[in-house]
Amino acid sequence: MTTADSTTDRPRMPSRLELALAGLWAGLRELAELVWSSPTAVVGLAIVLAWVLVAIFAPFITAHSPLEQDYLTINKGPSTEHLLGTDHLGRDVWARVAYGARTILSLGPISVLVAFLLGLTLGLPAGYYRGRVDEIIMRVLDALMAFPTILLYMIIISALGASAFNVVIAIAVGGAPGIARLVRALTMDIRTREYVAAAKLRGDHDFSIMVREILPNCRGPLIVDLLLRIGYAAFYIGTLGFLGLGLPPPTPDWGGMVQEGYSRMLANVWPVLSATLAIVTLVIGLNLFADGVREESMRYQ
Amino acid sequence: MNEAPILSVRNLAVSYKTRKGEVDAVRDVTFDIGPGENLGLVGESGCGKSTVAYAMVNFLGPNGFIKRGDVQFKGETLRGRSEAELRALRGGDISMVYQEPMAALNPSMRIRDQLAESLSTHRHLTRKDAYPESLEALKKVYMPDAEGVMTRFPHQLSGGQQQRVVIAMAMLNNPALLIMDEPTTALDVTVEAAVLDLIAELQRQFNTAALYISHNLGVVARVSRRVAVMYAGEIVELASTDAIFHHPMHPYTMGLMRCLPDVDAPKGTRTLDPIPGRVPAPDNLPPGCLFAPRCRFVIPACRETHPDLLPVVQGHPVRCLRAAEWGEGQPIGAGEAGNITEIRADRPDPGDATVLTVDSARVYYPVPLQTVGGLFGLEKRRYVRALDDVSFAVKRGRTLGIVGESGCGKSTLAKAIVGLEPLYAGQADFLGVDISQPLSKRGIDSIRELQMVFQDPNGVLNPSYTVGEQIAFALRRFRTVPPHQVRAEVERLLQAVKLDVSYFNRLPRQLSGGEKQRVGIARAISTSPTMVVCDEPVSALDVSVQAAVLNLLLAIQSTNNTTMILISHDLSSVRYFSDEVAVMYLGRIVEFGPSELIYSPPNHPYTTALLAAVPRPDPGASRSNIRLSGRVPSAINPPTGCRFNTRCPFKIGPICEEQEPPRRDFGDGHLIFCHIEADALDRYHQ
Amino acid sequence: MARYIIRRMLTMLLTMLIVSVLVFAIVEIAPGNVARNILGAYATPEQEASMANQLGLTRPVHLRYLSWLFGSDWQAAAVIGLPLRQTVTAQGLVANSIQWWAVDENGDLAQWRVEQGQLVKLVRQPDGATVRIPDERAWRTEADGQEVFWGVDTAGRAAKWVKGQGGTEYRYEYSGWIKSTDSPAEYIPISKGLFRGEAGLSLRYKAPVSEVIGRRIGNSFILAVLAILFSIPIAVSLGLIAGLNEGKLVDRVISVGGLVTAGSPDFATGILLIMVFALWLKVLPGATVLTTEDAIFRDPRLLVLPVLTASLVEIGYVLRITRASVVEVMNSAYVRTAILKGLSYRQVVVGHVLRNAMLAPITVIMLHINWFIGGLVVVESVFGYPGLGNFILNAALYKDVYAIEAGAMVLIVLAVGTQLVADIIYSLLNPRIRYA
Repeated sequence: MTTADSTTDRPRMPSRLELALAGLWAGLRELAELVWSSPTAVVGLAIVLAWVLVAIFAPFITAHSPLEQDYLTINKGPSTEHLLGTDHLGRDVWARVAYGARTILSLGPISVLVAFLLGLTLGLPAGYYRGRVDEIIMRVLDALMAFPTILLYMIIISALGASAFNVVIAIAVGGAPGIARLVRALTMDIRTREYVAAAKLRGDHDFSIMVREILPNCRGPLIVDLLLRIGYAAFYIGTLGFLGLGLPPPTPDWGGMVQEGYSRMLANVWPVLSATLAIVTLVIGLNLFADGVREESMRYQ
Repeated sequence: MNEAPILSVRNLAVSYKTRKGEVDAVRDVTFDIGPGENLGLVGESGCGKSTVAYAMVNFLGPNGFIKRGDVQFKGETLRGRSEAELRALRGGDISMVYQEPMAALNPSMRIRDQLAESLSTHRHLTRKDAYPESLEALKKVYMPDAEGVMTRFPHQLSGGQQQRVVIAMAMLNNPALLIMDEPTTALDVTVEAAVLDLIAELQRQFNTAALYISHNLGVVARVSRRVAVMYAGEIVELASTDAIFHHPMHPYTMGLMRCLPDVDAPKGTRTLDPIPGRVPAPDNLPPGCLFAPRCRFVIPACRETHPDLLPVVQGHPVRCLRAAEWGEGQPIGAGEAGNITEIRADRPDPGDATVLTVDSARVYYPVPLQTVGGLFGLEKRRYVRALDDVSFAVKRGRTLGIVGESGCGKSTLAKAIVGLEPLYAGQADFLGVDISQPLSKRGIDSIRELQMVFQDPNGVLNPSYTVGEQIAFALRRFRTVPPHQVRAEVERLLQAVKLDVSYFNRLPRQLSGGEKQRVGIARAISTSPTMVVCDEPVSALDVSVQAAVLNLLLAIQSTNNTTMILISHDLSSVRYFSDEVAVMYLGRIVEFGPSELIYSPPNHPYTTALLAAVPRPDPGASRSNIRLSGRVPSAINPPTGCRFNTRCPFKIGPICEEQEPPRRDFGDGHLIFCHIEADALDRYHQ
Repeated sequence: MARYIIRRMLTMLLTMLIVSVLVFAIVEIAPGNVARNILGAYATPEQEASMANQLGLTRPVHLRYLSWLFGSDWQAAAVIGLPLRQTVTAQGLVANSIQWWAVDENGDLAQWRVEQGQLVKLVRQPDGATVRIPDERAWRTEADGQEVFWGVDTAGRAAKWVKGQGGTEYRYEYSGWIKSTDSPAEYIPISKGLFRGEAGLSLRYKAPVSEVIGRRIGNSFILAVLAILFSIPIAVSLGLIAGLNEGKLVDRVISVGGLVTAGSPDFATGILLIMVFALWLKVLPGATVLTTEDAIFRDPRLLVLPVLTASLVEIGYVLRITRASVVEVMNSAYVRTAILKGLSYRQVVVGHVLRNAMLAPITVIMLHINWFIGGLVVVESVFGYPGLGNFILNAALYKDVYAIEAGAMVLIVLAVGTQLVADIIYSLLNPRIRYA
């Protein structure tokens, strides 16, 4: 039974990488099942995917470059040449909308991921150790959360300057306290579970307990939060652009387009209308998707 | 039954609409309840007991509905009644008592308003007129300080008081039928005993018919005159309490009886006989007899024919094809003993090898200071004294049982021993190594030799990893076996806890509670520890599974000569399992000694009250009526002198409040900490 | 209860303290150089260095932080060795000109300057004019042999002159750069600090921030109160209707509607509303250009679209919270008890559901106040509404550092204060909260 022969016959223990991949695959399948059983999430996902496709294939579905100015066709309405007309510099509005999707769809997820890294590094130890570590971290986070989000973004960007990098920094700093609080709450709950005690009883180190025992079991609420936050991030990237604190021109950026077009609305409503509707549909799509997943996952439990 | 029944249920089937279609939770249920009669409804979780209860008032939620059959109350059907008519019945002629009294009461409404509401709805009393009646109702349920309670909110009451409020509310309009759904399950055993006394008395006094639902056979034996046993949505046996307990005729009922530990039977004199398998899900029922897959008397016909509920003996219907074979006698093979006794015979002599010594251990938790002064560290820290001055020793290969009610510090003690809680003061020595340090400062060897089995089956396993991985983590960490043999070792351990090797790749959510607990045990013994601390290992499991897990632990102990500590609130399983027993109250040990001596007089007054409160699965059992009053004092400010003095039924005077009780030695290591003289303690038992 | 409130206020003070450090850190210490922000990109390094020195930016960070929050007059008085006094007079075009003086041994108010290497004391006369008195004897010799003098200069700064080493000072006036010699070597700008009502000079308005900001707080307050009064009753009723009809069509419609209005960015909602009501239907004005201070009172139509925009987001959010809370309470065991007591649906909803279901939204709404204030900033910007939010946004765009700092602190005090009020209301409503 325990001879060498019989042990080699057995399937061997899977490696860590295999385990991680299997876990990821299982998680994705779980998520896909959740999405599929919620009509809200399916509608949201469809809207978001449409914009993702526009962003990926932007060069193939536009006839003009988003930066190409043509002083002969300024503030024109839609035509076969310019699907959504042209703006005050004669740039093709459809091209700017399509390339603008690239901006918002890349900056949004990146800033949320950075926010999550920050939130996890603060929230896990705060919730796990409690005591003084927790006290200090939470005081600072409370102070950050006392800022109205937009205000925080405004002062960060006015101090650092307007650039894609700084927009990511601002949104990450603004989002991290909320994530840290969520992670902390989850950690405080999970650390009282008996499997954590069991891990301590095999002498595991705190870091290993946090990463191996606690973190994987936070994933459900964290995924839902991540999805919701991508919606917020898009919301704020647009808002910052509109306030003139987003990407510096002439980068195609929906918020910036709205700002530029807004003051020239009486001359041509198309640039501002297109960009506004673009941002509204994307943010609502992201919200519908996240909300559908959230509701379905609550029913699941 | 001579009088017309109050409640008459005929061929009731209740169904729930789910995404997979209609699922029949309850099928073909038939019973009567006469005036003033108490019918017990027992079965394991998932058998449809609560569904039956809510069907009586046609309250089945948006998805549930009565599919077939009829419920008649006082001769009139409840089916097809309008909402208004149902409302008049609910809380009026039919009222309910629930399992979780805290959740059942509105948290933001004073008790008097919640009581008055019932009166104003059914009898149109004004607030003013309702007050004296409500107060009267609280007095009827022996509520201490009834006036004071009237103005309080639910969270300001103890669990027992909350349940008294719920019962008072149910009795307000003198109902003809009282439906009680596990009313004492969430309560401590001494509180449970008092509530059961109250229910019995109220029923006698007001001649109220009652349907009493419980998973606990001992409780039902105490309050019910007749008992219906449910299995997988059907009634399988219905008879007088006496007949059910002394001459059960359905194999499921017999199985339930045989897997109950008996508080009156010492360790080693009786074996528990678990029922294999688990209750089938209502959407996945087996063909033929529903119990056939778990039945030890199964014959091929059982797997094909679904038996009807037929009276084999007059007034004792049974749903079993073979019931007629054994009539009222013992069924074939009933006397077959398990293999526990054989193992037990060759237990090695413990000798004098002491494994664990605990000396004056204290665990204090600082109370978070919520005051202004506290914010600046001006005030003196206060502590919850979860464990205060506890000393004992455990010998190799023996089991120490620790009993007490919630809040007595028994779980804290378990955690302190394994190192999950730091000791505030005191010493602990394990195999000659000082273990008064928390885990992070202990050596890997002492960690390996001292492992733990946990309480909550849902928290035992990390939901993110397969069963095999979780056992393997410990094997790798302690390098118990060379890396290439880890898998083989995990499989050996799975077999050791009687699980198939195919469980290796399963995730915890695919396991039942009992199976999870087995994996937890496999993990704990994977390092062949000298000692295993079991913290309420079976309290969250169904009775049929409890027995199997207890037997497994016993088998492991006798094969590996493992030393064990069993923490439990259940005196019966502690007796079944332990060689020595410590009784704890409010952070202190009040009595310690060999198991046989703890379960017979003389006892500490608290032990006496605990033993008197244990529900025995025997309707004829002689009962002591010693009951505890009041609530457990706060561990922040424990009473001076003897900690039990505020609730002690035999308190002898001011000495109990002023001086620490002396340690009285009754020989053979039997210690009682009480001011009462030895011979007097003996007398109190008569 | 009183204890609880005091404790909450103390933690709030602590939070405010940390917030002020954060604001100060982000605005003044972060890579952007304050002097450069003020001067623009075309100043020479010398001009920039001189400016930084005059603004006291070369002083240690902790002293600058303390000066900003609690003033620097006490710091200046300590180095000068004389008490200081502030005078506020009408001078030229400026209505309230603030001057700082030292009170000398005779009780006179004095300032100093150096003219051709000679120290001159300016003594203030009752009529506001000054008399020049040479004050060469005031120089003090330091350990390294240098002769120095600490006094108050004519521009409201404590200044340190070194004898024989007249520094070069660049000042930026309306007419351009002015270079002067005989200038001090070190400066401490004197102010009373934010907590004492002096938030510094707005670089954009060339006036004290506290003067500019007051009126705008009032305007924002009107907008906020109207939006809250409009949105909360609607949101709570809709949430209740949806929650009581969980899963039905009404619920679906209200929930998705809430998601759409809560999810759309405020500026997008505002612009769409302007397009519909101002551009196409032409029934409402699209921008709140205040020609006079009380324009919003003269033409309340100016307020309709801003209030509506701010409300829509809030309605969506609050109704969703309310709905979730109602659903949870409806499924609770105590509501089951109430139904099985025989209460009617109306009695159950009014007596048991409402109060318990309102607890969660109250806290969430109040915690949401930050979001709401952020929304106001955007709404004000869309409609050109002259409120606090618009003020801070412009300050941020113009790098008007003292205005940003002051505006941010005001907003945060409001936000944290509201949360404190919410906490107290909640604790009054919820009997389960215990104060020990």
